Amino acid sequence: MDFEPNQEQQMLIEQVRRFVREEIIPLEAKLDPDASELDPADHARLVEKTKAMGLFGIDIPKEYGGPDIDIVTRVLLAIEMAQHRAGLYVPCYGTFGGAGLAQIFEANEDQKERYLYPTLRGEKKAFFGLTEPSGGSDPAGAIQTRAERRDNGWVLNGAKLYISNADRAQYGIVFARTDSSKGRAGITCFIIDSDTPGFHVRRVVHTLRSSHYATELEFKDCWVSDHQVLGEVNKGFAVANDRLTRQRIPYAAGCIGVAIAAHEMAIEWAKMRSTFGEKLSHRQAVQWMLVDNEIDIRTARHFTLEAAEKARRGLPFKIEASIAKLTASEGGGRVVDRAMQIHGGMGMTKDLPLERWYREMRIRRVGEGPSEVQRMVIAREILGSNLR
Amino acid sequence: MKVLVAVKRVIDYNVKIRVKADNTGVETANVKMSMNPFDEIAVEEAIRMKEKGAATEVIAFSAGPAQCQETIRTALAMGADRGVLVQTDAELQPLAVAKLLKAVVDKEQPGLVIVGKQAIDDDSNQTGQMLAALLGWSVGTFANKLNVADGSVEVKREVDGGLENIKIKMPAVITTDLRLNEPRYASLPNIMKAKKKPIETLAPDALGVDVAPRLKTLKVEEPPKRKAGIKVKTVAELVEKLRNEAGVI
Ligand SMILES: Cc1cc2nc3c(=O)[nH]c(=O)nc-3n(C[C@H](O)[C@H](O)[C@H](O)COP(=O)(O)OP(=O)(O)OC[C@H]3O[C@@H](n4cnc5c(N)ncnc54)[C@H](O)[C@@H]3O)c2cc1C
Ligand SMILES: Cc1cc2nc3c(=O)[nH]c(=O)nc-3n(C[C@H](O)[C@H](O)[C@H](O)COP(=O)(O)OP(=O)(O)OC[C@H]3O[C@@H](n4cnc5c(N)ncnc54)[C@H](O)[C@@H]3O)c2cc1C
Repeated sequence: MDFEPNQEQQMLIEQVRRFVREEIIPLEAKLDPDASELDPADHARLVEKTKAMGLFGIDIPKEYGGPDIDIVTRVLLAIEMAQHRAGLYVPCYGTFGGAGLAQIFEANEDQKERYLYPTLRGEKKAFFGLTEPSGGSDPAGAIQTRAERRDNGWVLNGAKLYISNADRAQYGIVFARTDSSKGRAGITCFIIDSDTPGFHVRRVVHTLRSSHYATELEFKDCWVSDHQVLGEVNKGFAVANDRLTRQRIPYAAGCIGVAIAAHEMAIEWAKMRSTFGEKLSHRQAVQWMLVDNEIDIRTARHFTLEAAEKARRGLPFKIEASIAKLTASEGGGRVVDRAMQIHGGMGMTKDLPLERWYREMRIRRVGEGPSEVQRMVIAREILGSNLR
Repeated sequence: MKVLVAVKRVIDYNVKIRVKADNTGVETANVKMSMNPFDEIAVEEAIRMKEKGAATEVIAFSAGPAQCQETIRTALAMGADRGVLVQTDAELQPLAVAKLLKAVVDKEQPGLVIVGKQAIDDDSNQTGQMLAALLGWSVGTFANKLNVADGSVEVKREVDGGLENIKIKMPAVITTDLRLNEPRYASLPNIMKAKKKPIETLAPDALGVDVAPRLKTLKVEEPPKRKAGIKVKTVAELVEKLRNEAGVI
C-alpha cells in the first residue's frame, strides 16, 4: 500500500497546517495553558473560515452534510489539526465542528430529529455513559446499572463514572442492563435527557486533564419512555460497532500529530543547546532519543494509515485499528517524554506545550479502549475464537 | 479582461535555510517547497477581480522544473482558471523569467499582469519591473491597494515613509506588497475542481527565449553570526560606546 498523500490530500494538508499556524497558535499564546475553549468571538470568526474551506463538520458523514473526504484524508488532516497545545483534547478548539456520538447516527428518525440534527447544528451537546464504578474495560460484564420495565417505559437505577462533559450536556447515551441473565446480550442503549427526573451529576472527578473534568452520574428511579431506547432492547452493543472501531483511527492520528510537533521541537532545541562545550545534537545519547522518536512516529503513522486504508477499501480493519491505537498512543507518549527530557527544565514548564501533551497523552492509553484491551482484541484474532 | 499571475515555487517560509557544504547554493533536496507568499497575494487579488467582475479569466504562470505544476495547481485550487508552465531545469534569473513572461503575455494578451514584488528565495525584486520594460507597459510596484476602472488602474504603493497613490494606464504590470490582501484558504471543492483545470506546458525554446544565466554565482555563504547586543543606561554611555568600541562616530 502506498501511503504518500496524493496531490489533493497534500493541498488539504497545507491548508490545515496554515490554519493551525496562522489562526490557532497565535490565539493560543494568549490563553491559559490549560484552556480548552477559544473566546466565542474568535471561535465564530474561525468557524466562518473552516466553512469557507469546505471542511466544517469534518466528522459528520457526507450524507448528513459533512465534507466529502475519505477516512485516509481524515487521518492526514487529524495529524495536522492536533499540532498545537490543546491539540490532543480539542483539535483546533472545535472550529472544524463537532459530530454526534457514533450511536446517535443509528437512531430512528424521531430520535434523529430530537437529538442528532440539533447536535449537528451545534445546538445540543451529548455525553457518553458507558463506564461504571465496577469497570470500563469489560462493560458487558461490569455494567450494573439496571433498567426495569414500568408504565410503557423503563426505570433506571445505578451509577456511571468518569463520564466526560456530562455536566455540560443536554442529553447522553447510557448503557444499562435490561436482562440480568444474559451478559453481553442483556444490555440496552438509552438516550437520557439531562433534565430527566432521577438523573443527576453526583460529583465532579478531577483528573490530570486539568482543562476539564469527568463526572460521576447517578440514576435514582429515573423513568424514560420507550421512545428513548436507541436501537433494540438487549442489543445495546450492536449499535454502531463499526463506527466505534473506525473512531479509533483518527484518535490515533491525533497522537501522531502531537508526537510530530514534540519531535520537531526537540530537534530544533538539540541543535541550539550546548552543554559541556558541545551541542546536544552532537551527543549520541540525545541522537538516539531523536532516532527512537523518529521510529515511533513512523511506525504509528504507517499502521494508522494502513488501518485507514483498509477501512476505506471496505476490508476488515479491526486488528489494524487496535494496532494503530496502540502504536500511536504508546509511541506518542514515549516521543513526548523524550522531547521533554531533551528540553531539560524548560520541558517541565507551562511555557511550552510539552507538559500538557504529556498529561493528555497519558490518558490516551486508557481512553477509547485501554492498551491491554486492544492487545486482547488482537490476541483473540490471532489465536482464534476458541480463546474466548 | 484576462489577468496573468506569476507563481514561483520557492523553499517554504517555515523552513530554516541551510547553505550547501560546497558553498554553491542553498540546500533544496528534501526541503519543503511552496508558492512564494507574494505570489499568493497576486493570485488572491486576481481572483477577487474576477469575483467582482473586473476580470474574466485568471491564468497562473510558472517557470521552472516539472514540480512547478504543483504550485500552479495551488493557484488553480485558490480559484485561477488555467495554468501555463514553462518547463526547464535551467537556473532561471529574473531577466529570463521576465522574457518568458513577455512571450506568454504576447500570446495571451492579458490586460493586467500581477506578480509578487519579490520572491522570498533570492529577494531580487526585479521581474515585474523588467517585464514592464520589455513590454513597454506601465508598472505599479509594491501595491497596497488596487482599483481597476476605465482602462486604468489606481495603485496605492508602499514607499519609504508612507503610501503613494498613482494612476496608470492599462495594460499594466503590478507587483504586490504584503498588505494588499490576505490570501484565502483553498477550499475542498476548489481543490477537487483544480484537478480538472488545464495546465499548458511549454518549453523556453518554443517561446524563442534564451534563458542562459547572465549573472554568475561565485559563492553562497551563511550570513555572519550576530553578536549579542548590550543595554546602555544613558545617552552619554551610548555615545561613548559608539565612539570608542564600535568606532562608528
Ligand atoms: C479523562 C477520562 C475521561 C473519560 N471519559 C469517559 C466517558 O466520557 N464515557 C465513558 O463511558 N467512560 C469514560 N472514561 C472511562 C474510560 O473509558 C475507562 O477508564 C476505561 O474504559 C477503563 O475502565 P476502568 O477505568 O474501569 O478500568 P478497568 O476496566 O478496571 O481496568 C483497569 C486496568 O486493567 C486492565 N485490564 C482490564 N482487563 C484486562 C485484561 N483482561 N487483561 C489485562 N489487563 C486488563 C485495563 O487495561 C486497565 O489498565 C474516561 C476516563 C478518563 C480517564
Ligand atoms: C521543577 C523544577 C525545579 C527546579 N528548581 C531549581 C532550583 O531550585 N535551583 C536551581 O538552580 N535549578 C533548579 N531547576 C533546574 C534544574 O536543575 C535543571 O533544569 C537541570 O539541571 C537541567 O538543566 P537544563 O534544564 O538547563 O537542561 P540542559 O542542561 O540544557 O539539558 C537538557 C537535556 O540534555 C541532557 N544533556 C545535557 N548534557 C548532556 C550530555 N553531555 N550528554 C547527553 N545528554 C546531555 C540533559 O540530561 C537534559 O536531558 C529546577 C528545575 C525544575 C524542572
